[in-house]
Amino acid sequence: MNDQTKIDQDRAERTEKLQGMGCKRKRVEDIRFTQGKGSYVDDLKLPGMLFGDFVRSPHAHARIKSIDTSRAKALPGVVAVLTAADLKPLGLHYMPTLAGDVQAVLAEEKVLFQNQEVAFVIAEDRYIASDATELVDVDYEALPCIVDPFRSMDEDAPILREDIQDKMEGAHGPRKHPNHIFEWQIGDKDATDKVFAEADVTIKEMLVDHRTHPSPLETCQSVASFDKVKGELTLWGTFQAPHVIRTVVSLISGLPEHKIHVIAPDIGGGFGNKVGAYAGYVCSVVGSIVLGVPVKWVEDRMENLSTTSFARDYHMTTELAATKDGKIQGMRVHVLADHGAFDACADPSKWPAGFMNICTGSYDIPTAHLVVDGVYTNKASGGVAYRCSFRVTEAVFAIERAVELLAEKLGMDAAELRIKNFIKPEQFPYKSALGWEYDSGDYHTAMKKAMDTVGYKELRAEQAKKREAFKRGETREIMGIGISFFTEIVGAGPSKNCDILGVAMFDSAEIRIHPTGSVIARMGTKSQGQGHETTYAQIIATEIGIPADDIMIEEGNTDTAPYGLGTYGSRSTPVAGAATAVSARKIKAKAQMIAAHMLEVHEGDLEWDVDRFRVKGLPEKFKTMKEIAWASYNAPPPNMEPGLEAVNYYEPPNMTYPFGAYFCVMDIDVDTGVAKTRRFYALDDCGTRINPMVIEGQVHGGLTEAFACAMGQEIRYDEHGNVMGASFMDFFLPTAVETPHWETDHTVTPSPHHPIGAKGVGESPHVGGVPCFSNAVNDAYAFLGAGHIQMPHDAWRLWQVGEKLGLHA
Amino acid sequence: MEMNGSQRIEAPREVVYAALNNDDVLRKCIPGCESIEKVSETEMNAKVTLRVGPVKAKFDGKVTLSDLDPPNGYTISGEGSGGMVGFAKGGAKVDLVPDGEATILNYTVAAEIGGKIAQLGSRLIDGTAKKLAGEFFSRFSEIVGPQPQPVDLPTEDANAGKGWFGRLRSSS
Repeated sequence: MNDQTKIDQDRAERTEKLQGMGCKRKRVEDIRFTQGKGSYVDDLKLPGMLFGDFVRSPHAHARIKSIDTSRAKALPGVVAVLTAADLKPLGLHYMPTLAGDVQAVLAEEKVLFQNQEVAFVIAEDRYIASDATELVDVDYEALPCIVDPFRSMDEDAPILREDIQDKMEGAHGPRKHPNHIFEWQIGDKDATDKVFAEADVTIKEMLVDHRTHPSPLETCQSVASFDKVKGELTLWGTFQAPHVIRTVVSLISGLPEHKIHVIAPDIGGGFGNKVGAYAGYVCSVVGSIVLGVPVKWVEDRMENLSTTSFARDYHMTTELAATKDGKIQGMRVHVLADHGAFDACADPSKWPAGFMNICTGSYDIPTAHLVVDGVYTNKASGGVAYRCSFRVTEAVFAIERAVELLAEKLGMDAAELRIKNFIKPEQFPYKSALGWEYDSGDYHTAMKKAMDTVGYKELRAEQAKKREAFKRGETREIMGIGISFFTEIVGAGPSKNCDILGVAMFDSAEIRIHPTGSVIARMGTKSQGQGHETTYAQIIATEIGIPADDIMIEEGNTDTAPYGLGTYGSRSTPVAGAATAVSARKIKAKAQMIAAHMLEVHEGDLEWDVDRFRVKGLPEKFKTMKEIAWASYNAPPPNMEPGLEAVNYYEPPNMTYPFGAYFCVMDIDVDTGVAKTRRFYALDDCGTRINPMVIEGQVHGGLTEAFACAMGQEIRYDEHGNVMGASFMDFFLPTAVETPHWETDHTVTPSPHHPIGAKGVGESPHVGGVPCFSNAVNDAYAFLGAGHIQMPHDAWRLWQVGEKLGLHA
Repeated sequence: MEMNGSQRIEAPREVVYAALNNDDVLRKCIPGCESIEKVSETEMNAKVTLRVGPVKAKFDGKVTLSDLDPPNGYTISGEGSGGMVGFAKGGAKVDLVPDGEATILNYTVAAEIGGKIAQLGSRLIDGTAKKLAGEFFSRFSEIVGPQPQPVDLPTEDANAGKGWFGRLRSSS
């Protein structure tokens, strides 16, 4: 063994010990999760704690004539019953939403959706509280309701929001109707209209991304404990963004921010559901302030599905214009957005339709115009980004379905049409027609790898044969090939265009090295299952050469964590991950000065070697990070302040743009409508890969939720405004039985502006997966002349497609 | 939701019509009815306990008789609220047609429900409504005529009522 081999081997061993970036480190949080030792909000039991439960409206739209709480208050064990009349003097019967609207905490004069909160019963236990809700007598006068968003702006439509009836200037400009929320436009209308007027070929389709719900297994919940002596409030809750919640609580309660302690413990899934502020949080806080004891609120499943933050409900009239040979020249989209009774979308404040303007997708479309109209209906409010960046699933669904429809009209292969229109590698950074600057991408390579791996040509040949066999009556099964090539926009975001209620969307990391060389790092984000404790430690391990196992990651306590905007929209790695790297580099720079002092050389004479600084040319002279940590406290260079810690608030210069190529092969029985996913292949490019195993887990989860949305999950309302999907009896949550097998793959195109080149990934599979499934279903029926088939594609609806096509004769 | 059906009752039309207007008969026939209080000749207050799937609710409601056309029929409508659990309103148009000594009672029911019963019970509502209508008319027949004899009542599966285990056994 020669010297160089020895050195390389030693370096490899030391690198492996770090368990840094690129290694499949096992998730450290799973040690407690798999043993049932996680600590969730509902695990919290405080002395004297009371329990709250809501009285909810059975009506979708009704006037409240009277509320009589006397029978409920008389029930033994009931401590208090709050109504709007109690909150009004405090100015808390309405609360501000993230979208610039207000939302009723407890309904005052009217209820605007079924299951809306009307009163909050506080009792000694959860059962008594629940029993007492039935004893609150509310006299309603039912009013006609609006369920179809296309009727919201009818001349004779009932006015839903009487509280803002005369306020015709909304948070995002003028309102055209009392039930109108905003109109948001972007792009060049005249140029786009001209392209369409002159185009060889155009397509136009109403694409509905239906109303659904993130449905995390743990519902939304909170425990508020107000200390009357200190005047301090501690609020534990299921918060994806604890710091923002603290700021909002401070603003609406008038309590100074430093006297509010917000703690998000372990969270059992969020998927966007736990970004917003809910009536339950406010009522538990008010209850605790009034009563001086802790008050717990825990949603049940029906409450979760029917009240706190739905997702989607975008009705997208989507058009493409192209040349005869398939070059896309223009895109025109009009969205009717059903926001429910209050505009409580969780988007960066300047973006009422999120990043819907990413809808030109992965294609070089020179001209585009997008209009989004938001309207009120008698449904629950929300519109959150369900496992995606803001409205990105909607945008990608629109473009990826539209491209397929265009291919069909042109008689071109759908993969070929995509490749023809891809943004080319040399065009990055690429400025899109609707205003985004894509950071990096190599779409052609990813697509080619995906097509080769799935054997695309062979699949099309097999499909052609199967279609002939079907026409001859030899089989009742049809085969669909779904393609989706998506580009996400994640990591909100640069302060020039992203803020939440004026708070810029930076994020943060504070790293402290202890004298013995172990580390605590605190973050402004909050894991809900993403594995932050594992992956942030890997970034630090690689950056400063301390083993990941010696690094503790702490999140969720606003007293100790640096201010950050939280975890959603795949922003943790792009923003807080960047802050982690920058913060670690600050520490490394100081460590280098200390090492130089220790080794009595000039800083410039040192070089970094995995976990140590060594003198250039003298490899035996070195100081490890562990040694440097001790010295930093106990023997720092003269005039240097002791200690080794750093904080970074990272303002991202741009979003990151992960992308991927997905293929789905599906077989559908036209007689039963049962669709079987034979194969699903997902190639993701999220730039630098921090932990391939965590990425794979994220992709599996995202694909499963995509499968759910596309193939059955829906929050449906009947014509009277009854919510029909509010239990797991009706709401499709796939289990291991229904879920297909996932094949994952990757390419690596680092982000040029991110310190470690990483992009987000947790949401890509959802964003790319939904259109991929829908395209597979649509592709299966295309040769029968089905036209666009709306989601969700459950067996009942697919059976109806067959029925309409006369296949069941 | 809409539903219709017929029932042959072994009693003359006049007797049937009178019984349909008798609050005591109605109390005995309406499934889950705890009390009926006559407010006027055509109005009654009723308390009814209803179970749809997993949801059980006590309804406080008003029953109104209209389109009175003795002895050919009338319209009976009701509206009730079970508080948070939900509400229901609906009506049945009843036509009485003589058939020899007996009477054929035809009914058309239209009902609307809301609240938790509608959410949780949506897939159970139709079956429950048919069952309740069936119960009403079989009790009515028992009280008014000697021998109930369904003509076109929605018939349930022969194994119904045996329970899950019973059904398993009887199919083996």
